[in-house]
Amino acid sequence: MSILYDEAQQAIATESRRVLDARGDQARLLALLEQPGGYDETFWKTAVEQGWTALALPEAQGGLGLGLIELGLIAQASGAATAGAPFLTAGYGAARLLLASGNAELTARWLPKLAAGEALATFAFAEGNAPLPDRPRCVLDERGLAGEKPGVVAGLKADFAVVWCMHRGEPALALVELADASRQAIDSFDNGRLYADLLFADAPATLLLEGGAARDAARDALARMAVVTAHEQLGGAEALMFIARDYANTRKAFGQAIGAFQSVKHRIAEIYGLVEIARANCIHAASREGEPDFLRAAAAARLSATEAYDTAARDTVQIHGGIGVTWEGGLHLHMRRARSLATEQGNMFFWEDLLVEELTGAAE
Amino acid sequence: MSDLDAYRAKARAWLESVAPAYGKDALAGVTGEAHLAMGRRYQRAKFDAGFAGINWDPEWGGQGLSPLHKVIFEQEEMPFGMPMGYYGVSLGISVPVVMRFAQDRAWAKERVLAALKGDEIWCQLFSEPSGGSDLAGVRTKAETDGNGWKLNGQKLWTTWAQHSDYGVIIARNDPTVPKHKGLTFFWVDMRAPGVEVRPFRLAAGDSHVNEVFFDDVKLTDGQRLSPVGGGFGTAMATLMIERYSASDPNGFGPPLDAVIDLARHSEVAGRPAIEDGRVRSTIARSYALRAGLEAITTRAMKLMDAGMEPGPEGSINKLMSARSNQRICEMAIDLMGPQGLAWDRDGWPKADWVSSWLSVPTLRIAGGADEMLLNTIAEKILGLPQDHRPDKGVPFNQIPA
Repeated sequence: MSILYDEAQQAIATESRRVLDARGDQARLLALLEQPGGYDETFWKTAVEQGWTALALPEAQGGLGLGLIELGLIAQASGAATAGAPFLTAGYGAARLLLASGNAELTARWLPKLAAGEALATFAFAEGNAPLPDRPRCVLDERGLAGEKPGVVAGLKADFAVVWCMHRGEPALALVELADASRQAIDSFDNGRLYADLLFADAPATLLLEGGAARDAARDALARMAVVTAHEQLGGAEALMFIARDYANTRKAFGQAIGAFQSVKHRIAEIYGLVEIARANCIHAASREGEPDFLRAAAAARLSATEAYDTAARDTVQIHGGIGVTWEGGLHLHMRRARSLATEQGNMFFWEDLLVEELTGAAE
Repeated sequence: MSDLDAYRAKARAWLESVAPAYGKDALAGVTGEAHLAMGRRYQRAKFDAGFAGINWDPEWGGQGLSPLHKVIFEQEEMPFGMPMGYYGVSLGISVPVVMRFAQDRAWAKERVLAALKGDEIWCQLFSEPSGGSDLAGVRTKAETDGNGWKLNGQKLWTTWAQHSDYGVIIARNDPTVPKHKGLTFFWVDMRAPGVEVRPFRLAAGDSHVNEVFFDDVKLTDGQRLSPVGGGFGTAMATLMIERYSASDPNGFGPPLDAVIDLARHSEVAGRPAIEDGRVRSTIARSYALRAGLEAITTRAMKLMDAGMEPGPEGSINKLMSARSNQRICEMAIDLMGPQGLAWDRDGWPKADWVSSWLSVPTLRIAGGADEMLLNTIAEKILGLPQDHRPDKGVPFNQIPA
């Protein structure tokens, strides 16, 4: 079953949008693209000040005890503004992994700091282009954690990461602090995301979960983050739809607004269709948090939101003609973000396969 | 939603009880007049069981329930393959118009009851050879004739006209004013002298649509359903009367489970097709689309249940589901290979890939072509400009043909 947003949730959507609109600055975001290691500090301060970091964490650990629906709405507003520092989603994922581990000491140590925005956290699952490899090459043994994790989102600044690794021949999840880790910044097409290659050489690490429990927790966290990201993608796609609409209503060619040409107006109407499918799947997935069909709902949201944002970016640039491909025009901020978000919680091959597994009940 | 859940359960129980008599298995091999007779009996059974006119006024033979109850019944009814097609236009469009606009209220009441019981069928005479999307461009003439009117012209694509007792029709009463302003709405007796109905076959092989010719067909002024010259507005209003109806995220084709089943029992390059990346991608994308459409419907129903209007996003359903189904059918035929070449002429599109594939193009045109739906989304929802319309404001008889 899907849901209708209640009044409190509608207020979160409106207020977050208002705050981000007031503090948005395209010039700042464009400058970030050329600064490896920089991120949107204004956004992050706003997120902490507004309590967004605490939103979806349990009250017992300093959180507000809300859930994916509310965090999704914040992400949607962030996506519309191409705001964002990568910590909101990744930090939430790391917190969920700590909670899933049942490790009370670590949870008590980190979650209040995450809720207060005093600590930054991320997850490091992928190796090669596999978002969650069956047998990761990173190994945790008595000497510590050893191996490489490429392209970790927020990896450049996070205080700790939850790492997908092997432990005694089984996949496992381990917490590793990053203060002394070797981190190599990636000069990326979307630098504000703070991507880094992490290199561990017998780094001190704490085992959180192993075997099937680790796999279940990793998939659940990935799915939760994917739902948050899907909202962010939805926000971006919807913003682009309105940008395209407004431009098509004002830009004139051949004696009329270009929106009167079907080649243009139908493109925008097609974006509307993709946006509404993505929105419906996002709301549905957020409302299925913790339910048996959550993974498939998350996968559907992830796939449709990625398609909506990629398509909206591609077509909105096209509708703008020459101005769409200028640096100052800034549409490439959305185009870049569409692809970076499409990669962060796993590529489409991964989500398609995961969804089909869920639908066919195929064993691992 | 417990009241609605109870209604759903009640509807389902009744449908299951009559499925052996009217469901898709009972209809296997039944065609032509025998099929129509089954359709009539099924409609009568619905009436007797209190599942006809669900959201209509009890004074007019209805059940006095909400549009939501009607949608719930339709959702439950869809998978059974009941012979309900004959009454889709009749009870979905034409009869509600008569109920609302007919001048002779006693006569209208008789007609509505007869239609609800399945005894009488109504068609809707809108589209013409010169255009279907451009409704205001109709050329059929309604000229004054004594105290009444006479009709001359031709309609096309008229669903089930060959079985219809009556129809509602839009015709041009004044060609000297701009096209939207010279139209008038009437009801017409399909057995009247001068009415000729000719069924024709569609690409899928079936003949549910017709050409209808009008040759000096006499109408009384009492058959008028709109003000003279006010027919276009009434036509638009009629499309809103029964605007809530169940949609099918499967695009009126087989459900996704059938695709998965087929992929499990087929091979690609010597391996199960369900392991093939292309097949998996298609299944996953199709699921994401259908799940989204289902969630849109669920939210719309929740809004209706809360006494609010559903959002405009429901308008994407047919556009997106039909196109998706078309591609899924192509993949299914690919998966079957040479076995997919067989054509069962009585196949049910919701269970048969080839039948579905052959009938989807009709779905993409009927009831609003894809291009018209995109225009509507662009103009009415997003506020984009109308297309350039050279006939705007021009008297109809001065528009270049």
